[in-house]
Amino acid sequence: MNAQQSQGTTLFTALLVLIGIGVVVQLWLLSASVDAVFRHDGRIPALAAIGSVFLFLVNGGLLLFVFGFDRKIRER
Amino acid sequence: MWPVCSLEIEMPEEQKKECLECGKKRERWREDFPIGWQGDNYVTRREMVKFLALGSLTIAGANFVVAGLPHIVKASPMPRTMIALASSIPVGGSTLFSYPAEEDPCILVRQRNGDLVAYSQVCTHLSCAVIHKEQENTLFCPCHQGYFTVEQGRPYAGPPTRPLPRIKLEQHGNEIFAVGVEV
Repeated sequence: MNAQQSQGTTLFTALLVLIGIGVVVQLWLLSASVDAVFRHDGRIPALAAIGSVFLFLVNGGLLLFVFGFDRKIRER
Repeated sequence: MWPVCSLEIEMPEEQKKECLECGKKRERWREDFPIGWQGDNYVTRREMVKFLALGSLTIAGANFVVAGLPHIVKASPMPRTMIALASSIPVGGSTLFSYPAEEDPCILVRQRNGDLVAYSQVCTHLSCAVIHKEQENTLFCPCHQGYFTVEQGRPYAGPPTRPLPRIKLEQHGNEIFAVGVEV
């Protein structure tokens, strides 16, 4: 494994962990939303939905970055 | 990719056949089903990242559905039910009734200042029935020693953390009506 591949593997692992943390936070937001709905609190689910979409955009951005990085490596 | 031939099952040599790819002897059935199932189970980091991003999208969608649910499913209007006669409840006294359905027990209390308050009788800890302690002017759950204030139904001792749902009341003359529930 050359240095570039090694760097790519490290990057992939780091992004995988970051996206994984994002998904766990989204799950937490979802459970908080369901809890708030049962308590008839309309404010928390709306904020949680906005937060969840933001996290999805971050995750999607990281995924696109991975694909872009991958393409760049293959083109070389 | 994982090597297919590493998964050979113990069987008589005469039933095995030589693999054309690697030269090892393999079971005959593998010729008919040349699928490396270990390879199928192997997930790359890229696939994992894609899977997580897809999961992220799904959860975000679910969160939107949960947020929109109360706006889509409107709660049915609460009935207006006559629950007691004001003259029948002395100062510091209480009475039981059901609202909005027969299986929803509630408690109506006349406070020391004469005001009437009503709450769901179901404890917010583990759903035992709360009772009114006149001497201590408190609502008490005997199952786990939970205490709620009579004035606002807020928990102040014991395991409950959420207040009791409050029943909205209206008084017309001597008659007391329950008209809604505040959670």
